Amino acid sequence: MGRYVLKRLLLLVPVVIGIMLITFLMKALIPTDAATAIYQGQLSEQDAAQAIAALRAKYHLDLPWYEQFLLYVGDLAHGDLGESIRLRKPVIDEIGYRYVNTILLTGAALAIALVVGLATGILAAARRNTWLDVTATTIGLFGISMPAFFFGLLLILLCSVWLRILPVVPHGPLAIVLPAVALGLIEAAPLSRVARSSMIDVLRRDYIQAARARGASEIALILCHALPNALIVVLTVVGLQIGNLLGGAFIVETIFSWHGIGELAVNAIQWRDFALTQAIILISAVTYLVINLVADILYAWLDPRVELVS
Amino acid sequence: MSEALLEEPVFEAVPRWRQLLGRLLRNRSAVAGSTVLLILVLLAAFAPLIAPYDPFKINPAQRLMPPGALHWLGTDEVGRDLLSRIIHGTRYFLLICAVTASISASIGTVLGLIAGAGSSLTDGIIMRMIDILLAFPYILMVLVVVAILGPSLWTGMAAVGIAGIPGYARLVRSAVLTIKAEDYVVSVRALGASEAEILFRTVLPNVLSPLIVYLSFATPLAALLASALSFAGLGTQPPAPEWGAMLVNSRTYLFSAWWAVAAPGTALFISIFGMNILGNGLRDVLDPRS
Amino acid sequence: MLNRRQFALASVASVGALALGRPGSSFAQAEQVARFRLIIDPEGLYNVQSISLAVSSVLGNYLLEALVYLDEKGQARPWLAESWQADADGRTITFKLKGGKAFHDGTPFDAAAVKFHFDTILDPNSASPSKGIVGPLEKVDAPDDSTVVFHFARPFAPFINLLGQSYFGFNSPTAVKAAGQAYARHPVGTGPFMFDSWTPGTRIELIRNPNFKQYRPDAANQGLPYLDRVVLNVMAEEGVVTSALQTGEIDAAQLTADAVRPLADDPQFKVINDKNAKNLMFMEFDYKKPPFSDKAFRDAISHAVDRESVLAAAFGGNGTIALGPLSRGIPGYDDAIAQKFGTPYDPDKAKALLDTAGWKDDGGVRAKDGSQAKFTIRSYADSTTERALAVIQANLGDIGIQVDVGTADWGTFYPSLLKPNWDMDLNRWTWSDPSVMSQLFRSPGHRQLLPPNPAIDDALDAADTALDPARRMQFVSDAQKAILEDRMILPLLTDWPMTVTRAALQGYRLDYLGYIYATDLKVAD
Repeated sequence: MGRYVLKRLLLLVPVVIGIMLITFLMKALIPTDAATAIYQGQLSEQDAAQAIAALRAKYHLDLPWYEQFLLYVGDLAHGDLGESIRLRKPVIDEIGYRYVNTILLTGAALAIALVVGLATGILAAARRNTWLDVTATTIGLFGISMPAFFFGLLLILLCSVWLRILPVVPHGPLAIVLPAVALGLIEAAPLSRVARSSMIDVLRRDYIQAARARGASEIALILCHALPNALIVVLTVVGLQIGNLLGGAFIVETIFSWHGIGELAVNAIQWRDFALTQAIILISAVTYLVINLVADILYAWLDPRVELVS
Repeated sequence: MSEALLEEPVFEAVPRWRQLLGRLLRNRSAVAGSTVLLILVLLAAFAPLIAPYDPFKINPAQRLMPPGALHWLGTDEVGRDLLSRIIHGTRYFLLICAVTASISASIGTVLGLIAGAGSSLTDGIIMRMIDILLAFPYILMVLVVVAILGPSLWTGMAAVGIAGIPGYARLVRSAVLTIKAEDYVVSVRALGASEAEILFRTVLPNVLSPLIVYLSFATPLAALLASALSFAGLGTQPPAPEWGAMLVNSRTYLFSAWWAVAAPGTALFISIFGMNILGNGLRDVLDPRS
Repeated sequence: MLNRRQFALASVASVGALALGRPGSSFAQAEQVARFRLIIDPEGLYNVQSISLAVSSVLGNYLLEALVYLDEKGQARPWLAESWQADADGRTITFKLKGGKAFHDGTPFDAAAVKFHFDTILDPNSASPSKGIVGPLEKVDAPDDSTVVFHFARPFAPFINLLGQSYFGFNSPTAVKAAGQAYARHPVGTGPFMFDSWTPGTRIELIRNPNFKQYRPDAANQGLPYLDRVVLNVMAEEGVVTSALQTGEIDAAQLTADAVRPLADDPQFKVINDKNAKNLMFMEFDYKKPPFSDKAFRDAISHAVDRESVLAAAFGGNGTIALGPLSRGIPGYDDAIAQKFGTPYDPDKAKALLDTAGWKDDGGVRAKDGSQAKFTIRSYADSTTERALAVIQANLGDIGIQVDVGTADWGTFYPSLLKPNWDMDLNRWTWSDPSVMSQLFRSPGHRQLLPPNPAIDDALDAADTALDPARRMQFVSDAQKAILEDRMILPLLTDWPMTVTRAALQGYRLDYLGYIYATDLKVAD
């Protein structure tokens, strides 16, 4: 096990380097830079040119990309993620609180997704091909069958304007409820699907049939025997979904004004603020890789039959 | 003698098509989903004949009219008939689904096959590449591709297609790895079949089942992502009647002209829901263990 | 997240109200708080570093004050300045300052503070966008506490008007020097409200300046602000803002025409139009390429667009069509010239002009010498431009010109105009001074496309250097006439930014530059 972990950690290195190289390549390929994005159109041509040149000199944007890459790697080695040109402050100041927000939202959403997904999946599997199956499947699929922003706006309408159970501009811990519900219901669909099919699979196995023949109750079968096995598969899917959640929740974040990494990422690209973009990519990637590593290890630990193949 | 044995697989691993079709037709989900898909295809094919108006013709005097006798679904913010735009929108929807699925599935499957069937070095290299793609935040990758190539329907589809490759690659790879170890493949190999033959005649047909199921789920997701691009101001350019773009651009009318939002929203919902249900049905029949 | 102060205040207020059994009694009066919407989180509240709309509106509305303000006719009037005088050669302007002003941190406002601000702007290390705005300003002296002298390389006419913008509002030099890089997170000015807190990305809170002195005669409230606190919530999504207005969680918000519609007839809300808006939406041509290099062709196209339809489609009719190259809200707009030399919508005339120019109808699309009238029109991606383009496309189609529409985000669109692969573009520019015409239209033009045109260039140069307002306005009129005669651009419209306020919010009105009178705000409830 220890060797496996070490090996996986070492394998992370080329992946991370690959990602950094790609982000720098992207910088070389994208036609405009942050300075241009800020000043073009705000001032006359000469004034903009002057301001752009000054900003570029200040942030080394006028150097060739490989020199910038070396500077960047050097800074990284000192723990310096660079400064955002647009915001004129260290990248870490902006990413810090947003990262925490995203983690909170992801956690809350996953909790909801797990509950809803497992419940609907199990119900659907236990009463397969009945109306209960259809209903449970429908609920499970609901969040993923319409665009996230539409879903979000409808939620706000429902909860804040019509039912008035939540304020539109929530302060404090309440603020996480609606975005977590929106994101959670969206993420529940794949979990529901996987739960349903792995439950169906497990329920068909010989030892379950044998237990049923011995008179075990349906509920006991589902909860004590089938569920733990289904859970393993579900957790694998969760591991994959985390990548999406960490980087891709920008719509939910924008609609609900939940200021996380997703919203920042989209803004950063539009601002052509590469320091910000690179840092976000790096942090998201490392988080995703670490979480998957932990998930794999957990998976292996839970199910000793699984061979640790890398 | 060995050739004769290679003529048919030692183990009946490939399900028969007739059997499958019968089971599909008996499965409610599959039938419901296929019906939706069929309706979409018909609408797309005969759009100019079915649609009552030209979906591009603007009429500022009649903007935001509620559903009525003249315009069954109402008009949008520049006076275009919503029903016609929805009907023509089926073409964009199916195009997006087809193109993104093709890009993701073709490249992903090839990569997965090579990784699964090849040496552990090939496998390692390809899987690292896949890992890089996967670790890259999904939405950022799409945005970066569009930022480089400039926003348009095709660059949006290309970006979403590229972002979908890792899913297919991983799926195919693990299916190949599982099948490689199965008895019938081992015995076929023992009988002297070449790797390529094994790959294409034995492994690939067995990978098809989980692949088709995954396709039916991943495609509507890709369609949603394409509409998410419109939210960021990228993707399909106006005045194309693509449902996602229509929904995004009319969302400020939620209170004042709800029909402009309801039309594309419902169309998207029904289509995507239908494809998801079809996926459920396909999975029940083709590959209950995935 | 309630911070401790809010929590304490809320507890005290509620306990007090409960104890006395009379909510709203003078012993336990709740804070007067107004809540507004911010479209995006400002990148930093330091006007030397940033002139974006988000930053300048927060600073200009509540926190900073400037040397002059513009009255309802667009004339500069003394605010923190007492008076000013230009030298005979126009290259030196001397300001006398009013006394008795202090910054929020107690530092006295004096000539040294003014000099400090402009020195910082002129310093190349600041990389300040305002450096370009002050043009030929070379040096600023403060010979005594209430005298500031500006030295220019050549006369710069726009300067006085531009001084009213929040880019030239004053920051406490003590605070700037002490905070360094962190100043942008905690601005200190002389305005009616002081900075209190900033939850990044979420909310900015301001509190009343207890030592505020009102130096603007046009404000209704000449004393301290009525409000105790102003809360600015960052809300990007309009649907959410509308919901928040309806539940009363926001008191006012700037919204687009689409979002305003459902609230417009509701007596709970008041819609305020900024009729002094200084934006102009216009079409430009790739001047260097035929057939747009041909004035006759530009003339034809200029008559082909139905501006009222564009305004209706893009902005719900909230605005005014523009026949001239200068917005109505900018001092110097000459309506007589616009009416006389502008090109009103006349599709028949457009068709006739095209026929004369040799563009014959060839099955729906016109052609001349074998090439068809098929062109591209570019713009930045926005729901307003997309709708405008739909109308323009249809209008041009009606006269036999086929256009292909393409939009991209501003960062891609604007630089792409420097390349030759476009024919027409739809642009929008906002500036508060007639020198906007020099920025855009003086050869070589903001996109390097315009050949020298003495009628236009000379008029613009003269307008920029004539310090005498009357003479300057004459040159500004000449410039408008010359630009229109050349059919250089096709002016379309000016849209009015709309603010929706709840009826309970009183005193919300905009001055000439679009800033609010924060001291006048009051919440009745």
